[in-house]
Order: sequence, then structure tokens, then C-alpha cells
Amino acid sequence: MRLAWWKWIAFGAPVLVATGCSSYPDQAATREIAEKMVSQSFTAPTPGLLKRLEQDRSQRICSKIGGAKLTQEEAAEVVKLARASIQYPASGKLVGDWKAGETLAHDGAGDRIQRGVLEKRKENGGLCQNCHGLAPGEINVGNIGPALTGYGLQRGNSEAVAKLTYERIYNGWAYAPCSNMPRLGATGHLTPEQITHLVAYLIDPASPINTR
Amino acid sequence: MSSTRGIAALVVAFLVAPGAALAQGKTDPGIAIGRQMLAEDNPGELWIEQGKALFHQKRGPKNASLEQCDFGLGPGKLEGASARLPRYFSDTGQVQDLESRLLTCMVQLQGFNRDDVVRRAISPAGSNGSDVEALALYITSRSNGMKISVALDHPKEQEMYKAGEYLFFRRSGQTDFSCVQCHGEADKRIRLQDLVHMTGKNGTQEIAGTWPAYRGAHYVVRTMQWRLYDCFWQMRLPELVYASDASIALLTYLNYQGNGATIQVPGFKR
Repeated sequence: MRLAWWKWIAFGAPVLVATGCSSYPDQAATREIAEKMVSQSFTAPTPGLLKRLEQDRSQRICSKIGGAKLTQEEAAEVVKLARASIQYPASGKLVGDWKAGETLAHDGAGDRIQRGVLEKRKENGGLCQNCHGLAPGEINVGNIGPALTGYGLQRGNSEAVAKLTYERIYNGWAYAPCSNMPRLGATGHLTPEQITHLVAYLIDPASPINTR
Repeated sequence: MSSTRGIAALVVAFLVAPGAALAQGKTDPGIAIGRQMLAEDNPGELWIEQGKALFHQKRGPKNASLEQCDFGLGPGKLEGASARLPRYFSDTGQVQDLESRLLTCMVQLQGFNRDDVVRRAISPAGSNGSDVEALALYITSRSNGMKISVALDHPKEQEMYKAGEYLFFRRSGQTDFSCVQCHGEADKRIRLQDLVHMTGKNGTQEIAGTWPAYRGAHYVVRTMQWRLYDCFWQMRLPELVYASDASIALLTYLNYQGNGATIQVPGFKR
């Protein structure tokens, strides 16, 4: 009898809530439930690595359910945060070595965690090939992002193009808030120097990307 | 067995060889035909018999079979059971997917140590597979030809569904990825690999109806728990715990979206 009473409290009450409110659980309740799941459903070799699950302000704004549109204020905030995040290489030189960039663009490894081990390398891969068409004739390329084939042919290699390209790789949300493109520099996946090599790979006239 | 694997390896090698112009569009028809040919002689079928034997065999410290395991339609009733998973189970007070429910039975009925089962659940590539992989395939195969019909009747099921939806769109980590960055549009690929379009009915039905599946590149049968784990690995996030609530939430979301799909396992994945 006592047990039945407790069961009513445990199951009956939520049922009443559910029937009384068609969209149970509401947004706030869902967020609380789901965030608790996140904190309990993952492991990592060191506690520091669990921080990867924590969202920064921009990631929270960019996680709209069902791809709902950003408000103007939200878009402006993401752009502002992105602009403030961008750091340039100590050398001040934004165009590096296109050959190093080519290697990086085809490297999809680094920093993954499997069976309690962090894939730690000197540098992470650039991941570009996963999502972008690259040099003409390359077959093994993804199509989530726009093809970068002929990037420099279309835009040239002026200082302004180099700066824009650097910034779009470092934190593309400064130009396209919440786009699918990872903020590769701002999140620390790539170093500023690595990004200069990718810039060179995209705009250097000698790079295979710009083969006619 | 080994000759089947050899043939599969050859065909897979042939499939990824360059030669077809893919550009920005869909999978090359040649590759699609090759995959279809592979799927018609699916090596995953071999795991069904293995799973059936494991299901009926008396095993574990309690020397019991899984014949009394209740997957939601009553003890031992497998026909149509996996079509309704995940669902709420009153004995555990939890919403469970097929694999977490299987785990419950292996621990409670057979006396296996939970951590041991979890540690072995996802087998190494090229191995003979794990008990859980074979069992999950066998149990799901008993619903072959039936339609996915996940209900959200219980408040806990509603919570799981909504949490799964939230997680599907939740961006984090150094790649800023959630599921939708790769799975939100049709005809997208990572390198040559087709991505399932999960915000569309066809994609979620494919998920709900074709797992567990034989994975050509690994030579073993894989389950949805593995599929989710592997995505988080690639996203550079911490390791998804086997049968964790986050995994069950995502599966509740995806399978509910996939309602109406006809189950046909083992699926075949590249």
C-alpha cells in the first residue's frame, strides 16, 4: 500500500503534468535533463578533456533546435565574439608555405579520444579534405562545405584576400555566424602558424588548388 | 568465413579506387551498384546464428539463458520487440534501447559483471565480434519485415525524445560540431563517404531499419551504440559511455523520427 502511494508520486505526477501540458518537457526542463545527461554520459583519460563538452557562449547560441533562425541580436553577438577571438601569428606574416598547407589540408587526424587514449600529435590535421573540394581532379573530397578549387584564381592573392582568408579559417563565424565551418583557430584546433600555411595553399598561384 | 572476408576486402578496395567523377553531387552510380552487390551477399548473416545460439545457451555465473529476458512485449517474446525500442521499462524505471536492455538481462538473469560486458561490447575491427553484437543482431532480426513503431506514451519517453533532439543540435568541442553539421542535408559526404540525412524521413528510416549492420571496413557486425560512439570520437569529444542516457536519448529521437521503416537486418555499411 505504502509502495503504491510512492509509485503514484513518482509516475502519476509527471503523467498529470504531461497530459496538462502538451509539450512536456518544456525547453528549460529539456535543457536541464539533457545537460545532466551530457555530464554523466562521457568519459575521458583526464578530467581536463571533459571540458570539451562544455559549450561557450557562441556554441550555445548556435545550437538552435531544428535549425531555427538566429535573431539579429544573436547573430551580432556571435560576430562580435568571433571578431574579438581572432589572433594573428607573432611574425605578422599571414601567408605561409603552400606545401605545408597542402599536407595539412589532407590530414584529418589528431586529438581524438579512443579507449582511454588521446591521439596526441605534434600538430592536428587541418580537416579541410573532409568537407571541401580541393585541387582539380581530386576525387576523395567531401562536399559539406563549398569547393575551394580555384580559390586563388577567383580572388587573387592580395593582402586583403590573405587577411580575409586567414580570418575565415581562424574563426569563420566573424563572417557567417553559426555556419558549419569549425572555428579552427579560435577553438585551438589549429595554431596561427598552421593557418598561414592553409592560406598559402588557397591563394598561392603555385598551389595545386589554383591549377588551371 | 575468411574467403568471404577476402572477397569483401577486394570489392571494398575496388570501390574506393579513383576513377569516377564525383564533383559535388551524389554517390557515383558505379559505387552504389558495387555496394548493392556486396549487400546481397551480406557476411553479417553469419552473426545471426551465433547470436541465436548465445541467446538460448545457459551462460554466466547463474548458468541461465536469455529466454526469460523481457524486451518490452513479455519474457522471451522477440517478434516485434526491437521495433518498439527504445521504450520505458517499469522494472528498471528507465527508458532503454535494445543494447542497454540486453545488458540488464545479462547482468540480472545471467549474473555477468556489467563492466566486463560493457568493456567487451564493441569488438576490435577484424575480430570475431562480441557476444553483445551477435545478440543484438539476432534479437533485431526477429523483427525483420516489421515496421518501426516507437511510442512516446510515458513521460520518461517524452523526456528522452526531447533530450535527444536537444543533443542532436548541441554544438561543442574544438570542431564546433553537433550531429546536424554533417547530417542535416541530403547528398552530403565526408570525403567519399555518404552521410545519412537525419533531418529527413528517408535518412532516419534507414537508421531505424538497418542496424545492427555488417561493416565492411571492420569485418564485423556493428550496432547503433558503436555508430554513435564513433561519431563522437570523430568530433573530438570525450568517449560516449556504452548504453549511457545520452546515447539512449539520441536513439529515441532518431528511431521515433524513423517510425514506419521496415526492419531488415543485418544492414550493410561500407
